[in-house]
Amino acid sequence: MDEQTFDRRVRLWIYRHVIDTGRVPGPLEIAEAFVRPLPDVEAALQRLETEADAIVRLPGTSSIWMAEPFSAVPTAFRVRAGQRQWWGNCIWDGLAILALLALDGVLETACPASGEPLAVTVENGALAHAPGVVHFAVPARDWWHSIGFT
Amino acid sequence: MLLFRSEEDVDAWCRARDREPGAIFDLDRMWSLARRWYDDRLELEWRRRTPDERQAILEEVGLVGPFWRLP
Repeated sequence: MDEQTFDRRVRLWIYRHVIDTGRVPGPLEIAEAFVRPLPDVEAALQRLETEADAIVRLPGTSSIWMAEPFSAVPTAFRVRAGQRQWWGNCIWDGLAILALLALDGVLETACPASGEPLAVTVENGALAHAPGVVHFAVPARDWWHSIGFT
Repeated sequence: MLLFRSEEDVDAWCRARDREPGAIFDLDRMWSLARRWYDDRLELEWRRRTPDERQAILEEVGLVGPFWRLP
């Protein structure tokens, strides 16, 4: 398998894993799934971040932090569908999870100003309950410069 | 990108941080953008879209003007 094919398969496997389990896999799990040495997987993850711009690793590690729209760590944007749940990086990504999976479900967050819980419901591929307004704090030119604040 | 209860809450949040509000819109538009932006993510041969392709998607859902201009 050439490098590009390996990287593509690893990337898609990461998504399939998080969709099925609700958990972003670690490098060792990926290595076991592909029956490849850990350094091969770590190199692929590095390429997927720095060349393909496909994932974000936790700084200083080979662990995945974000495989957009999914977050590996809990956030203020919890998505639930049936018995499964995931974490989105923001309101955009939270909705994207339900869109990507074509699932009925709910996105739970809270208003950052009032603290009031807000639940966005998707049914039959459309918004069924859509409270509140979306705020983008920084302009598009700066989205990827301040990904944690955008 | 955060979800607020109301525009008044956005204003209060920005005032508390001494910031001007950015852009505000409803969830219908956010839903349209989320669906369109990620519609290729589960394809094996996915690649990051070019800046022009991303800009075109923003325009498709009505996000135009200086605030939405990608680098």
